[in-house]
Amino acid sequence: MVPARRLTRACALALGLWVAWPAGAAPEGITVLSWGGAYERAQSRALFAPFTAATGTPVSVARYDGGLADLRRAVAAGEVPWDVMDMTRSEAMAACREGLLAPLSPSLAEPAPDGTPAERDFIDEAFGPCSITHSVFATVVAYRRDAFPGQRPTRIADLFDQRRFPGPRALQRTPSVNLEWALLSYDVPREELYRLLSTRRGLSLALERLAGLEELRWWEAGSTPPQLLAEGEVVMASGYNGRFFDAMVNRDVPIDILWDGQVQEHEVWAIPRRAPHPEAARAFIRFATGTERQAALSRYIPYGPSRHSAALRITTHADSGIDMRLHIPTHPLNAERSVTKDEDWYAHTRERIGDYFRAALFPDADETPSVD
Amino acid sequence: MDMPQAGERAVQGPGGVIRFLGLVLLGAVIGGLAALAAVGFVAAVLWLNDLLLISPRGRMMFARPELLALATVLVPALGGLVVGQLHRAIPERRPHTPADVIAAVQTRRGRLPARAGVLSALSGLVSLGAGASVGQYGPLVHMGASLGSTAARLLRLGRSEDNITIACGVAAAIATAFNAPLAGIVFAHEVVLRHYALRAFAPVAAATLVGHVIATNVLARGALFHVAEPALPRPWEFAAFLAIGGLGALVAGAYMRSILAVGRLAGRLPLAPPLRPALAGAMLGVAALWVPDILGMGQETLRFATIAGAFGGLELGVVLVLKLAATALCLGMGFGGGVFSPALVIGTLFGALCGTLVAAAGGAQDTFVFYAICGMVAVTAPVIGAPLTSLLIVFELTGSYTLTTAALASVTLASPIAAQLFGRSLFDIQLAGRGLDLSSGRSRAVLEDARLEQLMSQEGVTLRPDASVAEAVARLGRAGHGEAYLVDAEGRYRGSVTLADLEVIREQGEDTRTVDDCPQTPRPVLGPQTSVWTAMRHLQEMTGEAIAVVDDDDTFLGVVFEASIARAFLRYSDELRREEHGAG
Repeated sequence: MVPARRLTRACALALGLWVAWPAGAAPEGITVLSWGGAYERAQSRALFAPFTAATGTPVSVARYDGGLADLRRAVAAGEVPWDVMDMTRSEAMAACREGLLAPLSPSLAEPAPDGTPAERDFIDEAFGPCSITHSVFATVVAYRRDAFPGQRPTRIADLFDQRRFPGPRALQRTPSVNLEWALLSYDVPREELYRLLSTRRGLSLALERLAGLEELRWWEAGSTPPQLLAEGEVVMASGYNGRFFDAMVNRDVPIDILWDGQVQEHEVWAIPRRAPHPEAARAFIRFATGTERQAALSRYIPYGPSRHSAALRITTHADSGIDMRLHIPTHPLNAERSVTKDEDWYAHTRERIGDYFRAALFPDADETPSVD
Repeated sequence: MDMPQAGERAVQGPGGVIRFLGLVLLGAVIGGLAALAAVGFVAAVLWLNDLLLISPRGRMMFARPELLALATVLVPALGGLVVGQLHRAIPERRPHTPADVIAAVQTRRGRLPARAGVLSALSGLVSLGAGASVGQYGPLVHMGASLGSTAARLLRLGRSEDNITIACGVAAAIATAFNAPLAGIVFAHEVVLRHYALRAFAPVAAATLVGHVIATNVLARGALFHVAEPALPRPWEFAAFLAIGGLGALVAGAYMRSILAVGRLAGRLPLAPPLRPALAGAMLGVAALWVPDILGMGQETLRFATIAGAFGGLELGVVLVLKLAATALCLGMGFGGGVFSPALVIGTLFGALCGTLVAAAGGAQDTFVFYAICGMVAVTAPVIGAPLTSLLIVFELTGSYTLTTAALASVTLASPIAAQLFGRSLFDIQLAGRGLDLSSGRSRAVLEDARLEQLMSQEGVTLRPDASVAEAVARLGRAGHGEAYLVDAEGRYRGSVTLADLEVIREQGEDTRTVDDCPQTPRPVLGPQTSVWTAMRHLQEMTGEAIAVVDDDDTFLGVVFEASIARAFLRYSDELRREEHGAG
């Protein structure tokens, strides 16, 4: 009989599946590749645990240190161990061009709670062909609160104004961010920044500004600028907003952040090509990019949500209770005059811009290790 | 003046209101279309500039210097080649420009040809995309105007409506491209319509609004020039701004004269016209290897010119002269494109030069941007013949009242001086060169465009030269006319006689004399293509009832009665009066 035979076949299939199932993982889990440390701990509390609670899908985390070599090898071998990757947008763009990532549609993201479609709720350029921006971190200027009695810097041009704001500065030893700030100090509109930096005139104006700074320290490790500020070695320094947050909140360093001209970079979610569980990976990205989860993440680390609706829901730090709005790059209070780093531009110009930068600012240094 | 005329009668009452609201709605639709076309055009130019290694961004992102140098010369040259071929398909063998729009509206010819419109837009796109030193606003204005005219043609509207829809397209294009709605409205009135009738204002405003909404939502670009908290100029600096205006008029004159002069010289080149833009492109490319600032629209150059210290004084002068020369070369040799964007760059460089000189002479450094903007207005306003539009662009783009008043000081002298020395605008000068003189206003333009042909009558009495005086008197008496025209067997005109003279001869008893033996009244004769305006000038110097119309071989074609010339004059004046003073 046909129905009986069908039933038998179904039973055999079920048995086969049960045998093939890895022991101890009743519902199949996903593996997220992320950056470790405080960042991963925050993601676990705000994203991974709630995702498992909501769907029953366990999340395991693998440690990522940037770069595309491992991904390239895994995709070529056809054995990709990760389902979701947390990467910088510039690397996601490169990986996407190489065909290492699966395409992602903007329609994957949920609309905002008030019904605003995702395309309008996310910040500009959040959707790449293979990636969705989930957080924004910024390079900003921080200054010692006690350095300028009676006044405080309000515009990025003040970084270069050592007459009104005297004292040593510390800047990262890379062209990126520094060139942007230097040209912004001439009051050019942010929209034209990279077009103007593309001209010889723009570049030399910016490099002149940088060369004009006195008592300038160059830093290379991200931990240096908070330290220089804490020790009073410099009065203004560039650095990552998360590091300054840590210094202010956990170590009580008397500094404030100058948000004007902050240069934002995107952290994105992406799914590798040939990922083992693409459906579950998509479900996770949809969950993690929701307004509520993005706002929750910002209670643990000062990374800016990529959705306007989430930025407006930022409250306090989960542990210390301080107002996180002052520390989130995409919060409207801070984001008004932000610059988004043009990764495409840097991808094509890095070497030449680096040469100009070194020639103008480090004329005596011989072959220094490549910057940025 | 209450002559019954078919066609464009002002409709009053509820029907008129509905008709008028329809026109406003049509204006909004045209505004939307023109704005979208403008957005698309601007985006396409930027894309081409990046792709073809014209924009600084595209050039910087390209890593191979030797290929870049090759592209710098080849791209404008090949672009010129394409443009030259495009122009072969246009009847006039040149791209249409805002001057053609002005001519169509001022002579009430209306009806911009769609085919030439599309080809001109393409020519502008290729020219700008390939880096020719030309402007983008000219093609945008012409594109908007062509859209407006096409809409009017499809809906079979009359001449007055056609003019209004053209103005709608123009206003929306300017409002979108500059993101300056008021400037769009004023530009359409100041440059294209040249009157301020309420009837035209409402549809134009509707078009501009739609364009503005589209611009703010789709074209999220930075302002053309950006000024952060300008310092307040000292009182004596306004004298400097006035002086910049006077000198700026001369720069504008040099700019306009250079474009026209290169155009004349190009005509003498032993090179087929379709190949001339290619030559200009190659020359531009070679020069750009040393001074890349002259390539394309020059928006980056414009920006740097507003920054104190971005250029040295000498450098400003060199780039100014080279940009002027490059633009004259490109436009004169036949690239498609506008004159406004290069004028913006040249003017701003000129203003920056003045600012640098003033600062060097001990003046203030913190008001540098005022000098740059004053120079910009002083050069652009005379070139496009639009002082109010230029001021409004400054106001809408900067939102700064102080800057606008400074610009007002400079335009106060610039526009009148340039108009006295050179002409109301480059468009007017070009049109005068083509035989359309707009310096005496629109009524003259309309009369100059109307041809005697349409007024010609066959009712004049014609006599063979061998007819007798008696016969002539009898024929004239029967026809009730006072003049007769002598036409020989081959149909050639041989002069005219008046009844009065014939009567005198008859009184003397010589009525058997032939008429060609009689004393003749010297009379002007005119060709069928003579304008009504010229005919009216001749009327001032003669008394009589009609003027004979002959062709090039003296063949008699008919006569035009003085009365019909006067009637035509009244009719045209009446139509203009209705159009320019109509409220709805």
